Amino acid sequence: MCARLSNLSRFPKPLWGDWLVIGVSICLVILSFLTLWSQQPATTLRIRTGDAVLGEFSLMQTKQLKVAGKVGTSIIDIQQGKVRFAQSPCNSQYCVHQGWLQHAGQVAICIPNQVSIELIGAVQAMDTLNY
Amino acid sequence: MRYFILLLTCFTQLSCSIQLDPLYHSQSYVFGTLVDISIYGERESEAQFIASEITRQFQTIHNRLHAWKPSELNGINKTFAEGKPKLIEQDMADLIADVTQRSVQSEGLFNPAIGNIIHYWGFQSDDFPARTPNADELKALVAQHASMADIVLKRHQISSENPHVKLDLGGYAKGYALDVGLKVLKEFNVKNALINIGGNVIAVGQHGGRPWTVGIQHPRKPDAIATVALASGWAIGTSGDYQRFFMLDGKRYCHIIDPRTGWPAQGTQSVTVLIPPGADAGVRSDVSSKPIFISEPSRKAEFAKKMGVSHVLIIQENGDILASTAMQTQLHWLDKEAQARVRTLE
Repeated sequence: MCARLSNLSRFPKPLWGDWLVIGVSICLVILSFLTLWSQQPATTLRIRTGDAVLGEFSLMQTKQLKVAGKVGTSIIDIQQGKVRFAQSPCNSQYCVHQGWLQHAGQVAICIPNQVSIELIGAVQAMDTLNY
Repeated sequence: MRYFILLLTCFTQLSCSIQLDPLYHSQSYVFGTLVDISIYGERESEAQFIASEITRQFQTIHNRLHAWKPSELNGINKTFAEGKPKLIEQDMADLIADVTQRSVQSEGLFNPAIGNIIHYWGFQSDDFPARTPNADELKALVAQHASMADIVLKRHQISSENPHVKLDLGGYAKGYALDVGLKVLKEFNVKNALINIGGNVIAVGQHGGRPWTVGIQHPRKPDAIATVALASGWAIGTSGDYQRFFMLDGKRYCHIIDPRTGWPAQGTQSVTVLIPPGADAGVRSDVSSKPIFISEPSRKAEFAKKMGVSHVLIIQENGDILASTAMQTQLHWLDKEAQARVRTLE
């Protein structure tokens, strides 16, 4: 560790080319921040049943949740950064067919069973969804 | 280094201000769908009270206009079938007159009088099974020619010249409720709020320092295809073949019925409209997309015009996208693949 620090202090003075690389890197970071803003990975899962928030769960785990809804039990799979409705007691199965969600702002709703899952990131990309 | 620290401070402040967001958010299930109310900048207890008052009014509208459970509307349908007149409330008479006017405007493509056909397909149910249609039965239902023009309104009395008229306001009630919700927000002097009823959204004010951002659902992916900054008073609505549908032998049957054929409309995945502020912005956001969705590809621009819509986004069956010039300026594309397929609707 000490050896590395002393190496750093002996680091040669940056040349104009180094500044160019640093400058370009910063631009790249800012650019990717702006473009990936809305597609950032989610960190948290919010589950609601009816009009109540059942809870918020970390996405960084592998877990199966059983949620009691209006007509039966919805089974929700969390798998290291993504989540899906694995099973649902509804007829249409739209919620199951939605598949894995992984971006902040994504929502899957089972209307018959009144269970919704919503992905939340550090900054919400949108306030609501038109569908 | 100094500038770097300044930049870092800006971002930290940004994230702090976002975390301190005085945003109240409520969710409930009305109209057989999800109702989502966001209120910004009010005290939580007040926001909660206002949101529950809005939800209560929505529930009242839902109970009055329910198409297949006992309701005021169902009572009207019953007297239509019996060929009798019925006395109704003034606001119900006004509502039906408004529905009729919009149906005429759409040349009958928006036709809430065809409740019998919607019922036939099984879409008058919370959780419907797939149904194998019979072409002859459907032909007979279409031959009933149920139309809003059959309805006679005389002051408080309503009757129908056609006993087969069965009102189903599934394509109107949510938009109507948005307008009612907006009125409640104004009564309580709420400056910033967002109401979403089953995907139909209306905005008031903005979310702190930025406009309310609404994602538009991709009809075939679990992601938003684009976002729109919804300015105060604007409403957005989508008709899609992915909200209520069933698959049968690999074919998709959606809940939007072409009244001319009795069959689910084909050839379009979704139609999204943006409606500028007005007393009927909610209704227009709900109704206007239907005739555009149902009409054949060559007439979609014409029907957008007929419905007075200048902001429209159409996703066709093959994934090609048509968007009016006005709409293109409002969209912030998230799905670059989709963006590459956009053509201007003329």
